[in-house]
Amino acid sequence: MRDHLVFYLNGCRQQVGDSRALLTLAEFLRQEQGLTGTKVVCAEGDCGACAVLMGRPEATSQEDGDLVYRAIDSCVALLFQLDGCHVVTVEGLACGGKLSPVQQAMVDCHGSQCGFCTPGFVTTLHGLVETQSHHEPLTSVGGGLSAEALRYALSGNLCRCTGYQQIIEAGESINLATTPRLAELYPDPKLKSELFATVKDDVALAPQNGASPWQVFAPSSLEAALEWRAKHPQAKIVSGATDVGVQRNHGKLELAEVLVLNRIGELTEISVTDGVLHLGAGATWTAVEEAVRELLPEYHAVLTRFGSPQIRNFGTIGGNFVNASPIADSLPLHFVLDAELELASMRGVRRVPITEFYRGYKQIDLAPDELLVGIRTPLPVENERVKLYKISKRRDMDISTVTAAIAVTLEGKTISRARIALGGVGPVVLRMPAVEEFLTDAELTADTMREAGKLARQAIKPLTDVRGSGDYRLQLVENLLAKSYFDLQEVSAGSAPLPR
Amino acid sequence: MPTVGQKLPHDSARGHVTGEALYIEDLPATVGELWVECVGSPVAAGRIAAIDVEAARRAPGVVGVFTARDLPGRNHFGPIFHDEPFLADDEVSYIGQPVVVIAAESRAAARKAAKLVKIEVVEQPALLSIDAAIAAKSWLGPLKKIARGDFDAALASAPHQLSGVFESGGQEQFYFESQAALAIPGEFGQMRVISSTQNPTETQSVVAEALGVGMHEVICECKRMGGGFGGKETQSSIPAALAALVARHTGRAARIVYGKTADMCVTGKRHAYKSWWKVAFDDEGRLLGLSVECYSNGGAFADLSTSVMERTLFHLDNAYYLPAAHVTGQACRTNLPPNTAFRGFGGPQGVAVIESILQEIAEKLGLDALDVRRRNLYRDGDETCNTTHYGQVVRDHVLAETLSELEKSSDYRLRMALIEEFNARHPTLVKGLALTAIKFGISFTTKFLNQGNALVNVFMDGTVQVSTGGTEMGQGLNTKIRQLVADEFGLEIERVLMLTTSTEKSINTSPTAASAGTDLNGAAALEACKQIKERMVAYAADVFAAQNKLPRDPAQVRFAENFVSDARLADPAARIPFGEFCGRARRERVDLGARGFFATPNIHFDFEAGRGNPFFYYTTGAAVCEVTIDRFTGEMTFDRADVLMDIGQQINPGVDRGQVIGGFIQGVGWVTNEELRYDDRGALLSNGPTTYKIPNITDLPPVFNVNFIDNPKHTINVGRSKAVGEPPLMLGIAVWCAAKHALSFMGADQSSGSRSLRIPATGEELLRCISAMPTPVADCTLGP
Ligand SMILES: Cc1cc2nc3c(=O)[nH]c(=O)nc-3n(C[C@H](O)[C@H](O)[C@H](O)COP(=O)(O)OP(=O)(O)OC[C@H]3O[C@@H](n4cnc5c(N)ncnc54)[C@H](O)[C@@H]3O)c2cc1C
Ligand code: FES
Ligand code: FES
Repeated sequence: MRDHLVFYLNGCRQQVGDSRALLTLAEFLRQEQGLTGTKVVCAEGDCGACAVLMGRPEATSQEDGDLVYRAIDSCVALLFQLDGCHVVTVEGLACGGKLSPVQQAMVDCHGSQCGFCTPGFVTTLHGLVETQSHHEPLTSVGGGLSAEALRYALSGNLCRCTGYQQIIEAGESINLATTPRLAELYPDPKLKSELFATVKDDVALAPQNGASPWQVFAPSSLEAALEWRAKHPQAKIVSGATDVGVQRNHGKLELAEVLVLNRIGELTEISVTDGVLHLGAGATWTAVEEAVRELLPEYHAVLTRFGSPQIRNFGTIGGNFVNASPIADSLPLHFVLDAELELASMRGVRRVPITEFYRGYKQIDLAPDELLVGIRTPLPVENERVKLYKISKRRDMDISTVTAAIAVTLEGKTISRARIALGGVGPVVLRMPAVEEFLTDAELTADTMREAGKLARQAIKPLTDVRGSGDYRLQLVENLLAKSYFDLQEVSAGSAPLPR
Repeated sequence: MPTVGQKLPHDSARGHVTGEALYIEDLPATVGELWVECVGSPVAAGRIAAIDVEAARRAPGVVGVFTARDLPGRNHFGPIFHDEPFLADDEVSYIGQPVVVIAAESRAAARKAAKLVKIEVVEQPALLSIDAAIAAKSWLGPLKKIARGDFDAALASAPHQLSGVFESGGQEQFYFESQAALAIPGEFGQMRVISSTQNPTETQSVVAEALGVGMHEVICECKRMGGGFGGKETQSSIPAALAALVARHTGRAARIVYGKTADMCVTGKRHAYKSWWKVAFDDEGRLLGLSVECYSNGGAFADLSTSVMERTLFHLDNAYYLPAAHVTGQACRTNLPPNTAFRGFGGPQGVAVIESILQEIAEKLGLDALDVRRRNLYRDGDETCNTTHYGQVVRDHVLAETLSELEKSSDYRLRMALIEEFNARHPTLVKGLALTAIKFGISFTTKFLNQGNALVNVFMDGTVQVSTGGTEMGQGLNTKIRQLVADEFGLEIERVLMLTTSTEKSINTSPTAASAGTDLNGAAALEACKQIKERMVAYAADVFAAQNKLPRDPAQVRFAENFVSDARLADPAARIPFGEFCGRARRERVDLGARGFFATPNIHFDFEAGRGNPFFYYTTGAAVCEVTIDRFTGEMTFDRADVLMDIGQQINPGVDRGQVIGGFIQGVGWVTNEELRYDDRGALLSNGPTTYKIPNITDLPPVFNVNFIDNPKHTINVGRSKAVGEPPLMLGIAVWCAAKHALSFMGADQSSGSRSLRIPATGEELLRCISAMPTPVADCTLGP
């Protein structure tokens, strides 16, 4: 048991055992370290100005022993989540006193105007360069980054001044071959060996001398977590903190007693057995996105628009499910595929159908000693078509106004089975039994789906809020079902959505 | 080698990419420094009954709690009318209006204490929307009017007429660095304020008034802003005054940095507008007469609203000749935070009206909208159609050439045909294509503001410092002035340094606004350079004559490549290195520093008569945009943009291009997804990036061409350049017109379909038009 956090910051070892562990990473950097290059604009994960790189041992990296660096938003990351990580900020990217090729490109291409967003772009661009050595290349000809890859990777970084074009041009001009990766910038073997050595420790933090009470437990195994959970049913569970961190910054949540799950390797596992997809609750969205690219292309397409790359790099599927937002982008698919949630406690593991897990607005079937450990989702069968919709004001980095999942099993042109789930139109994601019944044994025609839309409209009473009026949501639901006739022609579980 | 015309990096780019560039929140704290938080009115309208600060005063870490009573000076300010209190003492007029100021040892302590303040208000009914203000005749300033010809007669005799109501929503500046200031008390009540402001002189004067001291006892400095866009033209002085108040009372440095949500909730924005219009036109779509009554939502205090409205009236013609015109404008007083400057300054709200009307005329007549626009363009040199409705001749422009070139380079005709074909057969998508233009008047419409001053110091080692009244907010002002000055002395850029803008160095300055930053301050800096050079030339002529036994000829003195030389001497050895020259000049007691001043010539406007030449010149351009809209969901994608602008000779093509792209995309944001939603109490709901959606990188069109057109006719202004900051923003309107064009294919009838489209064209707004579903309550969708 360790009583302090160990992590590295721009190559320097850090040890924190006091209440600074409860700060956000951005606060720690700016207030405690004087590293003011990291900017905070929104403090809610929605602009990317505070993006930094987080390197940690990942399942895929363990063999060759390299840390995997990904960009995260430091304004919502909490210091206590960073045990065993190497954090690199904009100040830590220069190579031998010279600007890094990424920094130089941003200078040369006029990628900055007021400069306030720039550190976030620089770190995120470095993060993109990092992925080039670990994953299939997203590169275009000429050894550079393609505009498409850049847009995707930078969709979590807002800029008000530049209109982005010159940032894309800067990205395109980066020579991947000559840009050092972070492992080259920080070759110190001690850094890696020490961080890898932390993986197996359980970390328990508490005030040293009876100051205001708080405690943090960051175990490395599920067993230790469950044991602690049973004794501390009041503790706040934290996985990626992309919800918790925002609530904390908004003053809606005081973090005093915390169980941190993001160091538990066994919670991150993803597998497919007998046509059932198993997603560990601790799997990050980035990991899920990768895993479902071919398995569930519709889901993959929605996930590329989930939050931002920074949010997906840290936020987990388990946190999303337990956060129980009716507009969670992940849920409708699992609703139509009849997923089951695995809940564990010292008492054992139980499985709950997803439709029963959600009982009312933010009301879930989770006992005080339980943790969500995984989600089991039967994959679509041969003649089953699934279409997902995410309607948001802005295409990327926006919370949905309405979400929908439509699954039909077809015998020829006849719908033998239909399942429909809608989000954003009620306190929880809703299945539409009346519509499903109407569609069963009907022929898949434009008229049928238009009629289904009208029925769905009658089954819901959506609210008006900042994202849209109730009328708008009603119209969307009606129209989405009508539209799905065309989209269901194009998609199956295994094909790409209608090209735009 | 001259640097003007080169794509040099931004002055601060190295600092931006390494994190070394400091903003106010980044400055290291001095010992004893305090954090300042502000507590605002909980309601939009009412009278304060009681303020209970006792709990806050006793909270841990709190050093002081202040209200209006603690202001040593006057409790009123405002750039045009002095109608706005720093701290409300009796009446409250918008939610969040500052009432109590808290100073504490840490930000966390200040924030905790702020929650303990209780402000009791006897609530009164609030006016939130333009309609409500019109009904109550709640105005800010007088009605403004400009007229030419007999509009009624034109309307009566015209072959065609149309009328309608046009609504555009407000827009948040969304500068990344929130409002911020650091006040450092000096000796004997003097105050130094470091502020994120576009307007150091105004900040200096406002702080002096609040503290009840002379301007000579207050210094205001601004190194850089993390964006301004107009939002820091007047409103930055409130946080500055509040920090100064704390510094004055405590004798300790005091820093205030608004949180993003607080900033969005309490500061003013681009004005929402509602305009009633009538237009008369002939069979070819030629405009015969236009009447527009504009109303803007000014918020609770005058701020710049009347001035913003003037610019709207000046831009209702945009690039098109109006034979008869009758336009009026009235700013409405409501219970929202006082609306203020935002890039374009009322121009966009005028330009959008006429561009929308032209789109409708084309639709009504079944003509191509580009043809209609071309027929109505101001024609250079043609007296029958080159004069604006306020009497200024539009000269030396290339509007017609711009449209022709764009039509070709964007494949406009071919794409229009393809779109028609696409729309006829695609079951789920519909496309639209539109070209819109801009002709934007450059100068402050308030004449006295058209002045600038600058200080140039040449040191005895040949290096140069420059300081102007202009502030750097990312727009590249300092980069451009640095280039101008370096070239003037024939120096490499590294030898010239731009200093922090400070009221110690440049006095009685105008805000950095109206796109005129480089025009005014660059010209002033050049003026200072000229004075110094005159003295240098006189001395150099003596030196070259004496050293080389030549007749003294100042006309032969040259400054180039870091040397001073005499054009008659071919031998490079005869040149004097600039640094050595400066050292020698100093020893001969030549003055190597100067202050330059510039006032824009030939501008005047008679507001009574509605006639004059308010603008030094116009910046022009056009854009062609294509969009695709989902017929079922109203989701819109932006497929392609072709932008072409005349911005004269570019001082820095990299900087200028950035201004065009950035401004254009900001305009696209205004017309698409940037929607301010308020609740029925007047509280802003879309108050952070989670709910207020500025354009994202993935909203850029995949095909995005930005080009510049030559204009040999433009011979005035610094280096024959043109101002570039604001004009491109209004080209974003092309996206909105493209959406309107797309809707016109949907068979929606003229009253409920494309004609009722408002700004912003969000997915919800588009779907409303598409399905002509019941209009949601106005207050809840467009914002009041
Ligand atoms: C900028 C931004 C954009 C976002 N965009 C989207 C979006 O597009 N779509 C969307 O659906 N969501 C979005 N979110 C929400 C959020 O990112 C997701 O809900 C995310 O998956 C939460 O995971 P986490 O690991 O960060 O959860 P945390 O914040 O760590 O936890 C969330 C909740 O779950 C509980 N919890 C976490 N793990 C467990 C567990 N294993 N067992 C029991 N309880 C647990 C926590 O106690 C907490 O109540 C966004 C958030 C931000 C900040
Ligand atoms: S500050 Fe906006 S994402 Fe962190
Ligand atoms: S450069 Fe100003 S926000 Fe990006």
